[in-house]
Amino acid sequence: MNDPLKVVHYVNQFFGGIGGEEQANEPVQVRDGPVGPGQPLQRSLGEDATVVATIICGDNYAAESSDEASAAIRAALSEQKPDVVIAGPAFDAGRYGLACGMVCKVAADMGIPSVTAMHPENPGVLTYRRDVVILPTGASGADMQRDASALASMALKLARGESLRSPAEEGYIPHGIRVLSTRDQPGYVRALDMLTAKLRSEPFVSEVPYHKPESVEPAPPVADLTNAKFGLISTGGLIPKGNPDRQTSGNPDRYYTYSVERMESLTGDDWEAFHGGYYNQIASDNPNYILPLSFMRQFEADGVVGSVHSDLFTMPGVGTPVEKSRRMGEIMAQEIKDAGIDACILVAT
Amino acid sequence: MISAIYDLALTTGANRVIRGARIEHICGDPELGPEKDFAFGMEIVGTALEAIRTAVAGPTLFEPGKSSPSREAVHAS
Repeated sequence: MNDPLKVVHYVNQFFGGIGGEEQANEPVQVRDGPVGPGQPLQRSLGEDATVVATIICGDNYAAESSDEASAAIRAALSEQKPDVVIAGPAFDAGRYGLACGMVCKVAADMGIPSVTAMHPENPGVLTYRRDVVILPTGASGADMQRDASALASMALKLARGESLRSPAEEGYIPHGIRVLSTRDQPGYVRALDMLTAKLRSEPFVSEVPYHKPESVEPAPPVADLTNAKFGLISTGGLIPKGNPDRQTSGNPDRYYTYSVERMESLTGDDWEAFHGGYYNQIASDNPNYILPLSFMRQFEADGVVGSVHSDLFTMPGVGTPVEKSRRMGEIMAQEIKDAGIDACILVAT
Repeated sequence: MISAIYDLALTTGANRVIRGARIEHICGDPELGPEKDFAFGMEIVGTALEAIRTAVAGPTLFEPGKSSPSREAVHAS
């Protein structure tokens, strides 16, 4: 029989038994054998592999001193020379998830196979899924035995140098990378097979995964507009004439705010449209088409609405990944809330 | 949200969607001449104000010039 494979396991200060949040600044330390979740992990690995050491690090230390932490982890791995590294599971703990991803990346860069597990919405997934094999878990450690067993079998596979099949077949979170491969049947045959299956109400798997948009609970209506403060937002690429802030015409990294105080209307003398997704000249001639200031001033003068917020919000909403949009949206929503705005009108081309 | 591509706004989950004129001139139409153009813009933005005053259960389209709301969106799946 072969010698058992050597596994090094990574956990944070909490799972490593050092302590809770108050111990999160604890630097990297190495213990012999399994610790905490390393126990169920060892049971699942059985006689095929042994957890020879456990690396423990505080979540804050890993996040704030990541250079020092990764150097210490690299040193520990050089000393232990494991066949595979297992990190976590981190569940929905954000800093822990990022640390697990970092540990796996360090191992991978040293040529050591590695695997971690966490909740699909852990920020560690967004940051490391391209480089690291991540198995999905629930949000909490309620099913530790199942998660440990999944980690163990993936770790054995990786340690033995077996090549992984697709995420759907192996159960890991997709890397987000397209792999060229040859199918048995040409596209038109596969498409017709899917169509016949659909007509027969038989199951089939689309080759173009559809991500259902998240549903957002509608905001309650604003009963009295005459006392409401309105925010105006445009994704039509409205910029001050000459683009003083050097905004891009698409895929922006941030949105901009500009004062419209004491401004009755947006004129083509002071503003223009800069957006890579439509013909901009008409909106440059009359920017109120993409940010309806002139109309809102009229409603304000007529006493229909309370007021218009002092600043407009603008960005070119084209070619922007959903995740990035979501992050900017969160920041914008917070700013809108802090400004005491009651309702917004967003013009999206 | 005022958008000329209102179907996309509805299927991606925007809850109060107002049908804009055209992508190049969402809140108005320069072809109408200044006066009618402004009135048309007031109608579109006025519909947005009406939408803000209206309770909705999910993505709903409001069409300027029609008694709102016009219809509730059905998600494609």
